[in-house]
Amino acid sequence: MLILAALSATAPPPDAAQLIARLKRPVPATTAYTEVRFLRQLTRPLVLRGELEYGGADRLGKRVDTPYRETTQIEGGSVTLTRGNGEPRHFDLDRAPELKTLMGGFSALLGGDAATLQALYTISLVDNANGWTLSLAPRAAALAKPLREFVIDGAGDEPRCFSLRQANGDASVMLLGALAGAALPNPPTPAALAALCHAAP
Amino acid sequence: MSTRGRLAGIVLWWLLLALAAIGVQRTLVVGNDLRSFMPPPQNADQKVLMDEIGNGAASRLLLLAISGAPPDELAALSRGLVRELRSDPRFTQAYAGEQSTTSLDPALLPYRYLLSPTLDHAQLDAAFLREQLDERLQDLGSPAAAALEDLLPRDPTLETLAIAQRWAPRHAPALRDGVWFSPRGEALLIAATRAPGLDAAAQADAIAAVRAAFAALPGAGKAKLEISGPGYIGAQVAASTRAEAERLSIAGAAGFAVLLLIAYRSASILALVALPLLSGALAGLAAIILVFGGAHGITLAFGFTLLGVAQEYPVRVFSHRRAGVDAATSVRAVWPLLRLAIVSACIAYLAFLASGVPGLQQLAVFTIAGLLVAGAATRWLLPSLLPPQFRDVADSPLLARMQARLAAMPRPRALPWIALAFGLLALWLAPAPLWQNDLAALAPAPPAALAREGELRNALGAPEVRYLLVLHADSADGVLRLSERMAPLVEKWIATHAVDDVELPSRYLPSSETQRARQARLPDRATLNSALDVALHDLPFQPGLFAPFVDDVQAARTLPLLTPHAFEQSPFGARLAAMLVERDGAWYGLATLDGVHDAAGLAQIAEHTDGAAKLLDLKTASEDLVAQYRTRILQALGVAFVLLVLAVGGAFRDVRRAWHVLAPMSLATLLAIAVLRACGVPLSLFHLVAITLAAGLGLHYALFFERPVADAAEARRTLHATLVCVIAAVLVFGLLATSTVPVLRAIGATVALGVAFHFVLSTQMAMRPDSRASNDHAR
Repeated sequence: MLILAALSATAPPPDAAQLIARLKRPVPATTAYTEVRFLRQLTRPLVLRGELEYGGADRLGKRVDTPYRETTQIEGGSVTLTRGNGEPRHFDLDRAPELKTLMGGFSALLGGDAATLQALYTISLVDNANGWTLSLAPRAAALAKPLREFVIDGAGDEPRCFSLRQANGDASVMLLGALAGAALPNPPTPAALAALCHAAP
Repeated sequence: MSTRGRLAGIVLWWLLLALAAIGVQRTLVVGNDLRSFMPPPQNADQKVLMDEIGNGAASRLLLLAISGAPPDELAALSRGLVRELRSDPRFTQAYAGEQSTTSLDPALLPYRYLLSPTLDHAQLDAAFLREQLDERLQDLGSPAAAALEDLLPRDPTLETLAIAQRWAPRHAPALRDGVWFSPRGEALLIAATRAPGLDAAAQADAIAAVRAAFAALPGAGKAKLEISGPGYIGAQVAASTRAEAERLSIAGAAGFAVLLLIAYRSASILALVALPLLSGALAGLAAIILVFGGAHGITLAFGFTLLGVAQEYPVRVFSHRRAGVDAATSVRAVWPLLRLAIVSACIAYLAFLASGVPGLQQLAVFTIAGLLVAGAATRWLLPSLLPPQFRDVADSPLLARMQARLAAMPRPRALPWIALAFGLLALWLAPAPLWQNDLAALAPAPPAALAREGELRNALGAPEVRYLLVLHADSADGVLRLSERMAPLVEKWIATHAVDDVELPSRYLPSSETQRARQARLPDRATLNSALDVALHDLPFQPGLFAPFVDDVQAARTLPLLTPHAFEQSPFGARLAAMLVERDGAWYGLATLDGVHDAAGLAQIAEHTDGAAKLLDLKTASEDLVAQYRTRILQALGVAFVLLVLAVGGAFRDVRRAWHVLAPMSLATLLAIAVLRACGVPLSLFHLVAITLAAGLGLHYALFFERPVADAAEARRTLHATLVCVIAAVLVFGLLATSTVPVLRAIGATVALGVAFHFVLSTQMAMRPDSRASNDHAR
């Protein structure tokens, strides 16, 4: 048992590792997204649309086009946030744990780096009728505090959805690529979105 | 006394000195602070100035840089070092960059509406709230959401962030992992020492503490810690100056020992020669402890220099021993003159005691006690310990030939007057400046260290040590009001690049007037609730989400205004406490400046504010203090000279004899100064002390040359003693003159030069006609 546990801690399940290797994308990679954020403090979800740009290792850009314009650039450990024509604001990536998680997961996924992902998360892969679901649960207590779960749904070599569930009950679902242009379920509940992510491409 | 008794006596004396030294070392508190050597401050303005010179917040900052490891390890080391230093009582503050949004004390949270400038240009009405809530909704959609959610219900207008931003340094370095990093990739941090920047010993201690704390951090092995800052540079300079002085003093002492062996052909002399001087020094220290409780570092440096005169006493005793006469009798023969030298020097130093400057009074007590004890030890202890076998130095044929040469030397009557004329001419024509008031220039820091300090200071946005903006009012609140009035001007200065930043006290705490005005603009509960209802229309915020906000605004409406005293209890209070000081009922605001580019422009502020706000240039101010102090020393030296003339004249009761002694001493002093000035050397305090020591030695040469002697042999003994003294002084101080450290060079060259002049002029002007005429140089 102990040996098995030790093994599972160091190596991802073979299927997951293969899948992650296949997800690797050349740099820079861009994709359209539609993000639905469920926040405790709000009575209805926020819906944002825009584009993600992955620039390798520790570079990630997130652009919001609607309902307002905003760009976020992550480079090294620091984040620059510019809204509309306003002054850019700078802050430390540590102050945005959600973004840091996304950043780490994104980098490892799009870099095809199963070992790094395995070091940060316990990985499980479930195949379903139309594709697969990769669930990442944080290993480190520090990371687990704000983040409960990070789920990637996809089909073939394409990730379709990133879903984050926070410990405080907040959650967000990011529909990627072709799915970003799809009509949102009305109302956009987490369950309806999950169904959308698992539907046939 | 038997040989064994003698040996026992010498050993006992040394032991007693060692014990006394330990005792003195245990009780002596040496202050290294230049301020206590200044005249006591007369008014509140001067008191503030004294406090700030070498003691200001900026001078206490150690600037640290960690490099040589990956960034995440550097960040961890930086945080670890800050944690260690914060728990060390030698440091008052340590920062590595983490700027928490909660830098406002939780207990002060409702005060945010009085502290933040938002209400100066806005009201908490529906329009403003709507604008803010729209923004917050977008914030919740942004990656910054996580940091915001906890804050939102209580502070939807983000006053906490506005205050944190207001309090953050304007030019902070880039943050990585919550830690400051330089563009070169070093982790940067700041530690403020409790000890003043000028206290080299305490700074050295603090620096050692930083190094030890760093070395003990896990993973510190391969990383490199670099320290800089005014205190660090001061400690480095002090250490290298001391090392150089010790090296040269050891060489000088060795040379002196060789000289004594050649002069007296006796090794046991070596065990005795230092005893009177050491006894005098310890007595001087003990006297300072008794009278003043502690000694000042510069007092000790000056005092030990001046006490060097006492090294002549045992030499006079050694040289004047005569064949067939026991030591005690020989000593009795020279004692009246030695006593005259000692007593007249002590009387002269009384002038320092009357100066009213604590540092000079300490110097007088130290020197007088030291001279008296060294003299008494020479007279009553030394003779019984002298070896019974000795060589009468008058038997030396070489000395006899020299005495004959000296005696036959032409002594043109006009020579002193020509020398005087040349001296005065040289003083008249010498290049400016006459005085060197910048004590730091005498022990300069290596340019590379200064450049590195400037670089780190710039990167960290740390305040400059040299300038301070002083705001003056009759109350703390008055200072804050003045500070608020200055704020727009300061913004203009920053915009025109006259200065990079000015940290005004009102940045942290607004005046009560401003707080009251902001408080008056806060709406009551009903008004705020209805404004919020209008603002929230259509927005998806949970009902009742902003109840804590409404409660805080209500609390803020009736809060007692925040006083400096209350604010100083909060985490940021230390900053304000250092900036607001009270002296004799007057209040001062001390604003630090960062990156001063146009000091002259900033200095004009005094005219715009009728002197209520002044740019204080601590360098100029401390130079002014040094100049004042020098004036006091010069006055004291002038009085001392008059006292010396009276003492010598009174002892001789003969104007001609007194003239023969005092004229060469005075002329030699003048010539030494003239040569220094003709070489373009501006004179400093250290030169004055060195000149005083040389004059003390010169007084001895003149007194002994002038002394009526029974025979030519005694004249040769006088010459022998004087030559040993002169060669010793030129050797020891000439070595110091070779130093690369300007202060050591100043003392060394001045004493060596002075001694040479004193010797030459004494042989010219003080030697008695009877010994001059003597042709009896063979026995």
